[in-house]
Order: sequence, then structure tokens, then C-alpha cells
Amino acid sequence: MTALAIPVFTGVVVLVLYSAIFFRRRAGEPLYDGPPVYGGARLQLTWIVVSFVLVLVLALLGITTLVSSQAAQAVGASGRAIGSGSETGSPIKETNNELQVQVIAQQWYFTYRFPDYGGVETTHLELPVGVPVEFHVTSLDIIHSWWAYELGVKADANPGVDNQFHATPQRTGSFTVRCAELCGIWHGEMADTEGRVVSGSDFNSWIKQQQATFAEIGKSLPSYAPSYFPEPLTKGT
Amino acid sequence: MAVADLTTERRLSIPTGIPTGVLLAITGYFAGVWLGNEFGLFDDQNTGIILGYVFATAGFLIGMGFLNHPLGRLLGWRLDPLGEADIEVGLGRYFRLSLDHKVIGIQYLVTILTMLFFGGVGAMVIRTSLLSPTPTIVPAGNYLSVVGLHSVMMIFITSAAIVGPFGNYLVPLMIGSRRMAFPRLEALSFWLVPPAAVILGAATFWGGFPTGWTGYAPLSEQAGQGMDSYIVGFILIGLALITSGVNMLATIIALRAPGLTWARLPIFVWGILCTSILGLLAAPVLAAALVMLALDRSAQTSFFLASNGGSNYLWENLFWFFGHPEVYIFILPAFGIVMELAAHFARRPLFGYRVGVVGLFGVTLLSWFVWQHHLFVSGIAPVLRPFYMLSTELISVPTGFIFLVVLGTLWRSRVWLTVPMLFCLGFLFNFLIGGITGVYLSDVPTDVTLHGSYFSMAHFHYTIMGGEIFAFAAAIYYWFPRMTGKMLNQTLGRIHFWWMFIAFNSTFFPLLIAGLLDMPRRVSAYNPGLQFLNQWVTFSAYLLFSSMILFAANIIYSWFIQPVPAVANPWRARSLEWQIPTPVPARNFERVPLILAGPYDYGLPNAKPVADLRGLVGATGGS
Amino acid sequence: MAAETRYSAAEAALAALDVRIASVGMWLFLAANAFYYAAWYFAFFYLKALNNNGAWMISGLTRPSRAYGTIVLLLALVSAGAYALATRAPVRTLLWRLPAVAALVVGLGVVLFQAYEMWHLGFGLTQGGFPSVFVGLTGSWVVEWAAATFWLATIISQARVGGDTILRAAPVAAFANLLGFLAVVGILNWILLYFLP
Repeated sequence: MTALAIPVFTGVVVLVLYSAIFFRRRAGEPLYDGPPVYGGARLQLTWIVVSFVLVLVLALLGITTLVSSQAAQAVGASGRAIGSGSETGSPIKETNNELQVQVIAQQWYFTYRFPDYGGVETTHLELPVGVPVEFHVTSLDIIHSWWAYELGVKADANPGVDNQFHATPQRTGSFTVRCAELCGIWHGEMADTEGRVVSGSDFNSWIKQQQATFAEIGKSLPSYAPSYFPEPLTKGT
Repeated sequence: MAVADLTTERRLSIPTGIPTGVLLAITGYFAGVWLGNEFGLFDDQNTGIILGYVFATAGFLIGMGFLNHPLGRLLGWRLDPLGEADIEVGLGRYFRLSLDHKVIGIQYLVTILTMLFFGGVGAMVIRTSLLSPTPTIVPAGNYLSVVGLHSVMMIFITSAAIVGPFGNYLVPLMIGSRRMAFPRLEALSFWLVPPAAVILGAATFWGGFPTGWTGYAPLSEQAGQGMDSYIVGFILIGLALITSGVNMLATIIALRAPGLTWARLPIFVWGILCTSILGLLAAPVLAAALVMLALDRSAQTSFFLASNGGSNYLWENLFWFFGHPEVYIFILPAFGIVMELAAHFARRPLFGYRVGVVGLFGVTLLSWFVWQHHLFVSGIAPVLRPFYMLSTELISVPTGFIFLVVLGTLWRSRVWLTVPMLFCLGFLFNFLIGGITGVYLSDVPTDVTLHGSYFSMAHFHYTIMGGEIFAFAAAIYYWFPRMTGKMLNQTLGRIHFWWMFIAFNSTFFPLLIAGLLDMPRRVSAYNPGLQFLNQWVTFSAYLLFSSMILFAANIIYSWFIQPVPAVANPWRARSLEWQIPTPVPARNFERVPLILAGPYDYGLPNAKPVADLRGLVGATGGS
Repeated sequence: MAAETRYSAAEAALAALDVRIASVGMWLFLAANAFYYAAWYFAFFYLKALNNNGAWMISGLTRPSRAYGTIVLLLALVSAGAYALATRAPVRTLLWRLPAVAALVVGLGVVLFQAYEMWHLGFGLTQGGFPSVFVGLTGSWVVEWAAATFWLATIISQARVGGDTILRAAPVAAFANLLGFLAVVGILNWILLYFLP
């Protein structure tokens, strides 16, 4: 995309500057009118066709990237990227070996539940390298947005919605999680720098340790669900 | 039956004006608060405050004299429909309800500039706070309310910045009309703006509101009473957009002078026409969404509460269905200004006039089909994302037409590089960056990273401030002699341009990079690694603000302190608004002119003058 | 006629121009209005389709009374119809005045009956999605209807010798479009709010 943007940008800027410098009315020059040309049909047609084709190419590129679930890399900082995400809507097969992770947002932190591991809820996120992950993002109060920059994923957390997307961590390292949707006074502080991508065995020991740590708290949690609501309303409430 | 007394002019004898308006507004506020607290269905203050603001606005408008006409008519009195008797001279008319579109234009201009100052101060507070990566300079809560106030204030301003002052003042002059179609609606569209601004400012007494300009529910339902200011203020601006849209469109459609065919309409008027269509149709959707929000906050309904059968997606859809046309409401008249000025200063016919008009209409039409690009990561209907990606990127085609028209006009002409023209060239540069960064945001894979980051924030500042406000400045420099009879100081103008242009780019280009480096919008605390970048931006922002102070100083200096009377038609432009004397006569034209040629026929050896100001012989139409 | 001499030449010229302005202006306003109600209908169908937490229409909710709704709708239709009938006759005649006044009286009845229904809903505002939409949509409609009756009263008040309405017949005709529009919205509301859920 940048390969297209830079020539377009340079071209227009050069045209503007060229016109402003070489066609300008110099000091003391009398004011006289330019050529009374109302527009060349061929030039206009060329411009229209070229811009149309450029846009279609761009859109096609974008759509293919979207549906083929190629890496939605963190643009501009690919050096920091440690994973690639893709969002829902892509026809990628949801294989059974995807690790299920639920991201629960509330003011002003994220917690994570692992239904594959007895629904344990943790306060930080560690992921095994090379294992595709299916995230389920939801919120308990208002809209947040779960943004793991280095993983190349961002998804809004809406109350009552199970927003799904996929990512595959490609190498070990750490990642930062931020909230990317204004969510009140501590929106800026809603960040966690302790995200880790670790080896499979490290992940297993981490999750066991988490299960042990949060075992007591886990008893008071509601059972795992795609989203969490209070009891349905009935008349008289 | 002799009914002589009924046919004579009668008026209500209430003294109207700003003092009465303020008095009734204060009374109305307390009446509303009392009513809401006493009879509100639920025990919260929101009902009272919302009613208070509504009653205060109504009281203000009644005090200004808006009720006199409808009430008098209801009582069966004969009233002068156009307010001919209201045409007065003197400074006082600028502080009263005036039905003269020229007075309203000046009122708008001064109001917009005043509001711009407050919005700018808000921006400075934001930038000052961001000198530090933790909210130590400005507490986080205050920071958030300043973000809200700055954003909504600026949205109020930019909705009306061009249509308000220049649309109202110039459209009748450009189309050869002696009046507006609905002068009372026009006056209403102006007098709704000051109450909206005051009500918005009143949010500070309730701790502001934490939602930014998007007002996303349910955050906006959980927010304190400051949120009510957002609701009522924004509804008033929506009403202003609707009333001004009805008036502008009816004027342009029904009151063009004879001979002014659609193909001869100045391109600026086309810009106003398109933006009025958007304002007319988009603002009602916003109004509906705000009514729902007001009901949720006061009557405890649950439009946006998922646990109670509502959905926050409903707000997001309605808001952006309004919100995306809204951003084109900002930019379309700016396109009009840039194309208009390009023709006059290149002194040649507008290159590809029809393509320009098609471009404006293309943007108008497509802007209805793109709103979900704000919601790519929200989880709403992910299947539809390719469609919205395509429609969004398609908008760059008609936008490109505008660039074609301007570049084609400048090419091989003799560009007169006046101050307004400099601002137009600055517009082209800034808007180009704004447009290209917009393509990145429209592309779903890149948007996943960029959405909600400083990249998108810098993008829309490039289009709105670098685009619309630069065009706004161009328009002020260009039409100031028309509106006031004084020239703005051109040397100060040149300094202002370069100062503002450099400071603007030095402020917002680094913010694009901050967005790429994972800095989310609207945060009071950020990654300490980005502190240097933010400090650079803050100092550039101070420079940018001081360039605006220079602008204001130039206006005050050239208008009041050392006025230099402008020669008639200082830019030697062909268009109709420059062919009448200064100051513009009370009814603009002695007779409705007969349009003979297009406004851009420069360089033609046998070009006719643009209009015969003696009008059609024997015609009295439109008097 | 002596009556015409009461108007100045300027007023007469203005009246000629008014035909176009009034008709264009009313269509523009109705377009804006249509978008307003479209937003409400969108909310209706969207919330109904999502049915979050099963709370669009909670179990045991008392439905709004079809009888009230039908009465209100019939009154609105009669009012709009009577006014449309009035526009067929010249303003000064009895054939104009009678149906126009009838439209006003019945129109006031719409406001009163609707207000009465709003006080006797049978359900609380906090009880889910449908009550929210019902109150908002009906409320918007009746507020606008009340404003329209104010305007209608003005038209009738000015419909006498020397008054505005005789001279400027254009707004009189344009007003029929407004009442017609509101009647159509009333029919849609009636179907959606009383029969569809």
C-alpha cells in the first residue's frame, strides 16, 4: 500500500509546487488571464480511470489479505511483531487444536479465562508459541478494546458479545496489552506489559501454577460462558 | 366588514434581545430543574438537568424574539413575513435577532472564531498534560473532560465554520438573490449555536463528560451529569444543521436569479449544496440517537444496555451513520472554496467544472455507505467488512476529482500567489496526507493496528484542521473585504500562513508515527518511550496555537484598530458577489440581476460580464 | 375584490414566489423527518433481532392496548384526511373552513388520547427493549403531531380576509404534506408497535 501511496503523494506535491513556482505571477507582472481551457476530455478520463483502477487494486489487495487471513502485521513496527492475527469473517477453519482464550474486559483491566483448563481465570496472559489461538473477547461493563500490538490483533470488548478472532504467536517474546477504546478515567492506565509468548512446556507449567493460585477464587466465579449477563428480566423487576 | 385594525402591523411589545434572552434562559433552567426533580419518573438529577437545558434554550430563544412571529400569527395579526421592518443599520443589529443574511453571516463568523479560541485552549491543556507520560500535570479525570470539551466544541465549530459565515453571507450574493428562502429558520440556525456552546461549557460544572465526541454508550450512560450537556448541546447543533440545510437548499433551488443555470452555479455554491444535503439528512439520525440516550439516562429505558435488551452496537451504528456524513459536512464546502479560489487566482476557467461537481456529489452519495469502517474491530457483522472497505476506498475516486480540477486549473496558468491562494495550496498538501492516511485506515488488515490509535487521530486532524480550517482561513482572507469592507493585512497573512503550515505539520506528522508506535487515542498515560515524541508535538502545538493568535490579532488589527478600506473587488474576480458595491446594500441587489455568463470565464476574448445588474426589464420577481 | 387591495404589491410578489419555496422547503423537511423515523425503525428491528439477554420482550410483559392505539391512529387519519379535503376548496369558503377546523379539533384529540395512553401503559420503562422503543417512537410522533396542530391553528387563525393564509396559499397546501406524512408514520407505528411483536 505504501508503494502506491508514496508515488501518488509525491506526484501531486510535485505538480502543486511546480505550478506554484513556475506558473506564478511574478512581482510587478501585470495581472493577466490564463488560457481559457475548460478541461481536456482525454486528461480527465485518464485521471478518472487511473484513480479508479488504483483504488480497486488497493481494495482487492485488502480483501484478499482479509479473507486469506494472511498476517495482519503491526504495520510500521514489524520488527517488534511476534505474532500474526486475523479476525473473524475469514474462512480459516476453526480447527479443534486452537487454544481457547476468553478475554474479559472491565474497568480498568483485562482478565483471561481458559475453558480448556477448567475455566481458570488469570490476570496476565501467557501463550504457547506456534499454537493457533482463538480469542473470545467480551466485556462486563462498557466498551473496551483489547489491543495486543505485537500480536497484531485488536478487538472491541462489548458487553454481551462474544467477539472472536484468531492469532498465532510465531516466536517467543513479550507483548503489551492496551485498551484501544475510551473507557473512562483510567483508560490510559489500562495496559499490561506482562504478556508473554513462551514455549509449550513453560506454558503448561504456567497454567498449572495459575490453576493452583486461583483455585480458591475460581469457586466463586460463574461457570464459563460466551458472555456474562445478569439474570434475564421478568415482569415485576 | 371593516377589519382595519386587523390589517395593520402589530407586534408584541415584549422587549426582546440578549438581556431578555439570558433572563428567560436562567428562569427556564431553574424551572426545568425543579420540574424534572419534582415530577421526574426516577430519582436522579438527569431529568432535571436535561429539562433545565431544554427550557433554558427555549427561554433564550423566546427572549431573543423567536416566539413573537408565530405567536402573533396564531393570534391572527398581520405580520410582515420577511421582517422588512427589521432591516436596520448600526452596530446593535449584530446583537439582536436579525433576519438579514449578511448580519447572520457576521454573527456566525465572530461566534465561530470565539468558540475556536476556547476549543484551542482545550487542545493546549491536552498537549500540556501529555508532556508527562503519567497524568501528573493534569489529573486524569480533568484530562478526560478536557478531551471531551475540546472535541465536541471543535465538532460544533467545524459543522458550521464555512456554511455558517460564508454560506449565509455569500450564497444569496452568488446566486443573485435578494433574500434567503427561510430567513427565520436561518436566524434560528445561528441562535441555536451560542446556547449549544454555553450548555456544552456548563458540563464543566458537573465534572465534564468522559466519552470524547463519540459518546459511546454505555460509558455515556454510566457518566455523570456532565453528559447531559453533551446530549442537549449536540441536539441543538443537529437542529441548526437541519434548519440551515432546509434554508440553504431551498434558497439555492428556488431563488437563483434568471439565467443562473445549474451549469453556471459557482462551485462554492455546489459545495454548500452538497454539504447541506448531508447536514439535512444526517443530523436527524443523530437527533434520534441522542433522544434515545437522553431517555436512557433520564427515564431509565434501555436502548443501549445489553443486559436489559438494548445494545451498544445500536449507538455505534446510529452515531456513525450520522458521524461519517458529518465529516464530509466539514470538508465539502472546503472543497468548494479551494476550487473556487483556484479559478479566480489562476485566472482561467475552472478545469473540468463538471468533474468537480460530479466529485462533490460522488462524495455526498458514497458517504452514506461507509459508516461501518469505524467499526471494523467492533465485532459488528464482520462479513460486511470487505464491502465497507471497498466503499470507503472508492470515496478517494471522487475526492481525486477535486485534486484533478485544482491541479488542472493551476497548470500553465499565471497563479497569483495571494494569501488565500497560499492557504489553498496548504490545504492541498495537508488534505493529501489526510486522504492517503485515510486509505490505510480503510484497509481492514492495517486498520486492526491503527484503529483507535494516534494514527487515526492525526489523520482526522489532517483532514479537518489541515483541510477545513486551512480553507476557512483562505475564505476569511479572500472574502473579508467583501464582508467588512476592510483588507486583512497581507504581510501578517503571509507570516501567519507559513507559521501555521509549518507548526501544523510539525504537530501532527509525529502523531501519525506515535500511532504506528502503539499509542492509543485519548489516553492520559502513555508508554514512557514515546515521551520525547510527545514533547516535540506539544511544543509544536504551542507554536500552532500562537499562529492562530496571530490570525486573531490580524483580524482585530485590520478590522478595528488600523482598518484599511478595501478597494472594490480587490482580487479583480469575475464572480457575482464582487460586482456589487461595498458595503453590500440592504437588499443586496437593486433588482434581481440577469445572469449572462459563468463566473469563471477568464481569458475569453469576448467574455460577457457575469450579470446584468439592471435585471430583466419589467421583472419584479423575488423582490 | 376589496379584500385584495389590503395586500401591498410587494406582498403579492412574495406570495407568487412562496409557492415554490414552500413546497421545496416542506419536501426537504419531510426528507429530514423521514431519516429521523428511519433511525427509530432501525432501532426497533435491530433490538428485536438481537434480543440481548432475552429482554426485547420479557416474559409476562403487558402489551400496549390495541384499542388505544387504534383510536389514536383513526383520529390521526381523520384529521389528515379532513385537512386534505379542505385543500381542495378555496381558502375563503366554508368548504375549506369546516374540514380544516375539524382537522384541528380531531388533531387535538390525537394528542390528548396519546397522552392518556402514555400514562396508562401497563409496563415500566425499565422493562427491556420493546418498552424503550415504544415510548421513544410514540413520544417523538406525538410531540411532532402537537407541533403540527399548533401550525394548523395558525393557518386557521390567519384564514380570514386580510390574513396570511388567503394570500399565501402555498404553505397551506404544503402543510397537507406534513399531516399526510405524520399519518403514514402513524400507520407504520401502529403496525410495528401493536401487531408485530
